[in-house]
Amino acid sequence: MIRIENLHKTYRAADGREVAALADVSLEIGAGEVFGIIGRSGAGKSTLIRTLNLLERPSAGRVLIDGEDITKLDSEGLYALRRRVGMIFQHFNLLDAKTVADNIDWPLKATGHTNAAERAARVKELLALVGLSEQGHKYPSQLSGGQKQRVGIARALANRPQILLCDEATSALDPETTQSILRLLLDINRQLGLTIVLITHEMQVIRTICDRVAVIDGGRIVESGKVADVFLHPRHPVTRSMVAQSDALAAASFDPARVYMKDKLRGTLVRLTYIGDVTYQPILSRIMAGAKVQVTILQGEVSSIKDVPFGQLLLELEGGEDDIRAVFAELDRHQIHHEVLQ
Amino acid sequence: MDLSVIDWSDIWIATWETLVMTGVSLFFTILLGLPLGILLFVTAKRQLLEQGFVYTVLSFVVNVLRSVPFLILLIVMIPVTVILIGTSLGVEGAIPPLVVGTAPFFARLVENVLREVDRGVIEACQAMGIRTARIIFGALLPEALPGLIAAVTVTAITLMSYAAMSGVIGGGGLGDLAIRFGYQRFQTEVMVITVALLVVLVQIIQYSGDRLVLYFTRK
Repeated sequence: MIRIENLHKTYRAADGREVAALADVSLEIGAGEVFGIIGRSGAGKSTLIRTLNLLERPSAGRVLIDGEDITKLDSEGLYALRRRVGMIFQHFNLLDAKTVADNIDWPLKATGHTNAAERAARVKELLALVGLSEQGHKYPSQLSGGQKQRVGIARALANRPQILLCDEATSALDPETTQSILRLLLDINRQLGLTIVLITHEMQVIRTICDRVAVIDGGRIVESGKVADVFLHPRHPVTRSMVAQSDALAAASFDPARVYMKDKLRGTLVRLTYIGDVTYQPILSRIMAGAKVQVTILQGEVSSIKDVPFGQLLLELEGGEDDIRAVFAELDRHQIHHEVLQ
Repeated sequence: MDLSVIDWSDIWIATWETLVMTGVSLFFTILLGLPLGILLFVTAKRQLLEQGFVYTVLSFVVNVLRSVPFLILLIVMIPVTVILIGTSLGVEGAIPPLVVGTAPFFARLVENVLREVDRGVIEACQAMGIRTARIIFGALLPEALPGLIAAVTVTAITLMSYAAMSGVIGGGGLGDLAIRFGYQRFQTEVMVITVALLVVLVQIIQYSGDRLVLYFTRK
């Protein structure tokens, strides 16, 4: 659906030096996918998402949407593209002078939909979709942050886009409102089969709704993959630190010594991670029943990333070397990943 | 102070003339200044229709016109006014210099007001695939409406004081009255009354403008 090939963006700074905001970024995003791009501020994520509707023009490289290189579009083509790609913003960017209903109507009215009755019906439908049926007559200043973002979403969906770009869409919202907006985005993704590309600095957002994630740092993609994989087995230091900030257990497993005093451990410290159906099967109990190994659970988490169940356990195993090795072999057989920490 | 020496019919005619001069020149000032201000805004750096050369030229012209003191402009404009409307005297004769004097001022105000509109909002409109002209008239100007009304109010008051000044070169209105009677014939009473009337008119304009701004503010 979206293919980004060798994208570069350089700015000329005030002192005349060239600064690279994006350096050789390549990504592929599938239709119907929720794709997250995470990075610290200044990492280039905002520039990256803005190249997808050419609010930002790349210095080099191609952006293909449905096989078409959008950097080659003329102005008519660009207008048409932007109507197929919705966008929502951190600060909502609603028109203060228009009512909620008129805000949603505006992209329809301004892109040549002349039938007022049809537009009114569409606005009503969108208000219902985002749960604001009663608020159509209000002005944005009378709404809460979460409600404003709902208006933003309804407005972005007005022209029935295939792609929705979310530029830090929940960063200005409190955690509870963030969750409700994320749920709404996920509903829309499922109901309408909309492809969603979002950027954020919060791992929690990625965990909640994304299928795949790319980590950007210094204008480069340093890591990407399925969210569960990246979350449970982060490789790049930036990814590790972002995961650690969102999850205490993950943080502990990167640096066990920080949590457990080394000298208190008698056996082997092992971290198990597993994804998918195995999460809800009594595999561990079966393996341990037959093994001559003592197991102590030090810390653990069973949860889900989007709708993929996963678990991670921090275990202390006590027993003979061969017995422990036998346990590891059994774990491997059941696709439970293990990692000896010390 | 002896108010009996005042010819009230003169005063009312002069007040009416002042209102006409202000109103008519305000109309033309907006007619010229609003598009000029919009053009200044959209052609400026990093704006919707960035055009460095156009901006530089327009900005220069506006600055030149604004740097001429109005009293000088009144005199310089006399031949032009005669060509335009046949006379440089009276109410009609005052209007061209008034418009030329205030349109660039108003254009600058418009440019500044438009700059205050949140960039993000304009960007959101661009992201929707809306054409630039539509963004300007459908989003930018409505968003800036309270600011534009405030700019019109300031301009109207400036025009009123300029209109009074045009009395010096034979324009009509309260200024003319104040100069001919209050100054040249030492009728202090006329001076006091005209100034008082100007004060009242300015207050009314400012009050109405403020009310309108409030009415259209949605923030």
